[in-house]
Amino acid sequence: MLASPNVSNAAYLTHFSAAQSCLSIERFSLAYAGKTALRELTLNVPRHRVTAFIGPSGCGKSTLLRAINRLHDLNENATHSGRITFEGEDIYADNMHVSELRRRIGMVFQTPNPFPMSIYENVAFGLRLQKRISKRKRDDIVEWALTSAALWDEVKDRLHKSAWQLSGGQQQRLVIARTLAVQPDILLLDEPASALDPISTLKIEELIRNLKSQLTLILVTHNMQQAARVSDYTAFLHDGELIEYGPTDQVFTNPHLQRTEDYITGRMA
Amino acid sequence: MTPPSRLHHSTPSGSDPRRQRLDRLATASITVGAFAVLAAILAIGIFLLWESLPLLSMTGTFTLETLSPLAWGTLKAALAAMLLALPVALGAAVYTALYMPPPLRSRIKPVLEMMEAIPGVVVGFIAGLILAPWVERHLASTLVLLVWLPLSTLLAGALWHRARQSLRQYLPFSWAGLWLVPWLVVMTFLALWATPGVEQVLIGGDVRQWLDQQLGLNYATRNAMIVGMAMGFAVIPSIYALAEDALADVPASLLEGAQALGATRWQALWKVALPAAGPGIFSAVMIGAGRAVGETMIVLMASGNTALFSVSPFEGMRSIAAAIAIEMPEAAPGSSTYHVLIFAALVLFLFTFLVNTLAEVVRLRLRIRLSRMGGGG
Amino acid sequence: MSRLWPWLCAASVALSLLMLAALLTLLLTRGLGHFWPATLESVTLDSGEVIAGEAVREIPLPHRDGEERLYFTANRDLDSHRWRWVEINHIDERSTPHALVRLERSPWGDFIGYLTAVESAGSHLEGEAAWQALKTALTRPPPERPNATLILKSAGGETLRQPLNEIHRAYRPNAMAWWEKIRFWSSGVWQFLSEGPRAANTGGGVWPAIFGTVLMVMVMSLIVMPFGVLAAIYLNEIAHQGRLTRLVRIGVRNLAGVPSIVYGVFGLGVFVYGLGSSLDEWFFSDSLPSPTFGTGGLLWASLTLALLTLPVVIVATEEGLARIPDAQREGAVALGATRLEMLTRVVLPMAAPAMLTAVILAIARAAGEVAPLMLVGVAKLAPQMPVDGEFPYLHVERKFMHLGYHLFDTAFHGEDIQAAIPLVYAIALLLVFIVLVLNLTAILLRHHLRHQRGQSC
Repeated sequence: MLASPNVSNAAYLTHFSAAQSCLSIERFSLAYAGKTALRELTLNVPRHRVTAFIGPSGCGKSTLLRAINRLHDLNENATHSGRITFEGEDIYADNMHVSELRRRIGMVFQTPNPFPMSIYENVAFGLRLQKRISKRKRDDIVEWALTSAALWDEVKDRLHKSAWQLSGGQQQRLVIARTLAVQPDILLLDEPASALDPISTLKIEELIRNLKSQLTLILVTHNMQQAARVSDYTAFLHDGELIEYGPTDQVFTNPHLQRTEDYITGRMA
Repeated sequence: MTPPSRLHHSTPSGSDPRRQRLDRLATASITVGAFAVLAAILAIGIFLLWESLPLLSMTGTFTLETLSPLAWGTLKAALAAMLLALPVALGAAVYTALYMPPPLRSRIKPVLEMMEAIPGVVVGFIAGLILAPWVERHLASTLVLLVWLPLSTLLAGALWHRARQSLRQYLPFSWAGLWLVPWLVVMTFLALWATPGVEQVLIGGDVRQWLDQQLGLNYATRNAMIVGMAMGFAVIPSIYALAEDALADVPASLLEGAQALGATRWQALWKVALPAAGPGIFSAVMIGAGRAVGETMIVLMASGNTALFSVSPFEGMRSIAAAIAIEMPEAAPGSSTYHVLIFAALVLFLFTFLVNTLAEVVRLRLRIRLSRMGGGG
Repeated sequence: MSRLWPWLCAASVALSLLMLAALLTLLLTRGLGHFWPATLESVTLDSGEVIAGEAVREIPLPHRDGEERLYFTANRDLDSHRWRWVEINHIDERSTPHALVRLERSPWGDFIGYLTAVESAGSHLEGEAAWQALKTALTRPPPERPNATLILKSAGGETLRQPLNEIHRAYRPNAMAWWEKIRFWSSGVWQFLSEGPRAANTGGGVWPAIFGTVLMVMVMSLIVMPFGVLAAIYLNEIAHQGRLTRLVRIGVRNLAGVPSIVYGVFGLGVFVYGLGSSLDEWFFSDSLPSPTFGTGGLLWASLTLALLTLPVVIVATEEGLARIPDAQREGAVALGATRLEMLTRVVLPMAAPAMLTAVILAIARAAGEVAPLMLVGVAKLAPQMPVDGEFPYLHVERKFMHLGYHLFDTAFHGEDIQAAIPLVYAIALLLVFIVLVLNLTAILLRHHLRHQRGQSC
């Protein structure tokens, strides 16, 4: 069932109803040490779709991604206003448990960051944080997660070898598997393929397309073709503001705004 | 493969409060522990200050009279040490940072830094019981050596520049730090062998007697010169390490730029590297001075511990640190000596703390400046 | 001229290396040479007098031509001297008779001379038989030895009766083959490491000092590690990285430069006179006025040195923590780990080598530190070890012996410093060896750590 977007507000900002989206951002602003990084953003992210955030560097797309995972908590200079709600709950509310929130909104970073442990332990890391899970169940989940991340066949014989021995692309898929193992509802991907070679990049993209049946994905990328290939919806950000948001086909082939077109066609670096 | 059944479905706001509580507890206890540590560190200053206060109600001149020869002794010892350590440490830093090939440098540097690990009590023993009597017997040779070693190095340099190309390739300058060692050994023995005869001819006897009769200088076995040599030895590595770091952090592009304009390596050093690394070298010298002022065991063992106001390098002294080490165990708590000694410790504490802070601030500034200069690292 | 300046710089490196090498060689040769059985000479002077001893060194005569030689003649009980300067041109004859015996004894120090006879209940042995009897007797532990008396004759002809149970070792260096000397040397080294001091610290071994040093350093590590690591974690992981944290960091770093004697004064004033006296009043008032905790002791010394090494631990641990990429922290947090879980499962395991480096550096610093200990609890000669079979086994209030202080005391406060110098060399060598090995371990560990990190990222 494809979500049918309601076009509201402005014609170039697609709006999804609360039932269609699992994450909604309302008039969200964020500033680092007084400097504004995000300005009054409002958008809803549709369930079981891949949404891409694109825009020139410094436009705030990564900042927004990190805000969804409350990673700015680690930086005390960041201040915010507005709301981000996940399944109807304000993620910045005082009674929100950040660690549980982060378990349900997984995040994969630009450079692969496997822990200095075995492959198995990397995938089991999040599981070991949960209440008692039997070893057998843990083994099952590890296998399932690695399979989902299309890595099982490559590593099944060396599960207990150091994760740092894997290639860059394998490491990134391991990180995705590690995140899948805790079964998040949303997966945030922050330029997951930018540090990888073309073949690894293709594998990651294929993986992203396959994963949307299981969860909602948000992809930040500076690679236009990648956004076009992988995503269902695309949001174009510029200077901390949301400029255009709509179905990927439309944004790429027939954007409403000149600025969007300029960026997509490469006239705006 | 089908996904496994959901682990447990809870709303994000309500799960496993035990983990959250544990986390908050740990954060709190780490903070408490850290503040305990900081409080303990702060307590040092407060204690010294508090226990020095009673001195205010006592007669002030007493403190001054006791402390001023000690302060003089401390300065004299530190000065003697710096006089010896500075040229050697800075010279070595310049050479390792700018002239040595990197693989050699990465081996020589830890070895020189190793000198710092040798306990003061060992250096003090060698200085006070072995070196001091030896120097007393070979005073003339020692004084000659202090001049002859640098001169002989210049001689080696002059010879090398005149030598045939093949020899120069065999003994490259970038390895001179190593192959000069045997040269210096030979030169030392040469000086030891030649001096007694020269001494006899020039001043007709023992230089010690001559000093006494002609200049009225008294020679004490354990004196400022011995302390300078021993403590200089102990301070060299700390100055060397920091100064070398500062010089090595100067971007190579700067030096190469100067050399491309026709400057020699040595000119590039003076015009480019030293100005750029100046603050770092300054902080290295400061930290060395702080160490020389506070070093206890070497002065205690090599200085004779007589509280004198004398500028002669051949007479001993008593430093603040040594006085504390000797007198503190005997001073009854609450007595005026006790408070004077605590005040002396406060002086040491403040002095070294300020000197180190200055050095650290200067060093941080330098690091920022160098990183702006482009890509030093 | 400007071509020649760099040569002075090169010579600075050469000179530093030379000084280091000279110091280490001196310590190594003299320290290890101390245990070598030196040849004993019998010297006949032109006055007809005969002396026996070990030749130590020669120096030129003051104000005259010629040289004089110093002999270690021992036998302090006979002529109240142990040393003898002899002008070389007064020597008629030098020989090295095999029968010359050197005895290490307790109250009077060494004896050098001849063994005439061994007398025990009823038996009287002479010559080689006496020597064999002495040797067999000395192989047994002192309480089991027969109650015998040695009849000794000095080189000058004086006779001496010496009870057997006061003798520790007896040897005839001139009669020994090289392999016997090596065996003798090794047993000397072993006794040095395993026995207690003798003759007011001028002889014997240093076992109590080694033990005291190690124990003190261990107690210190137990105190400094948790606090140092906590402070480092706080500064690097929890504190707001603002101006205050930077100031605190500079302050901590600078404490490493504060003279150790200042820490000693603090330890004496706060721990010994402050805390110790209060503890005595509260818990040990029966034994007052003799202090229990109100005087220097193992606990106070360890605490003082813990404070002294705190900056070392904090700086080294922080360096390790700062080296861990933030991506690792974010990776853990993004999987739902709380900060504690992130620290204990990812950050601290990765920082473990840095923490190990920190503790080794702290130990190396503490093992060589003497000045503060002189104020807070080190003893010339501790009557009791701080660990024994008596409850509570570890007596932290007791005074203890420390290698560095033992060195200082032996070198400067002995009655015969000349005689003690060889022993001091041995102690200095041991101390330098321990400290250098610790430092080397730390350096290698750190190097390994950087290497490993370099490969992975």
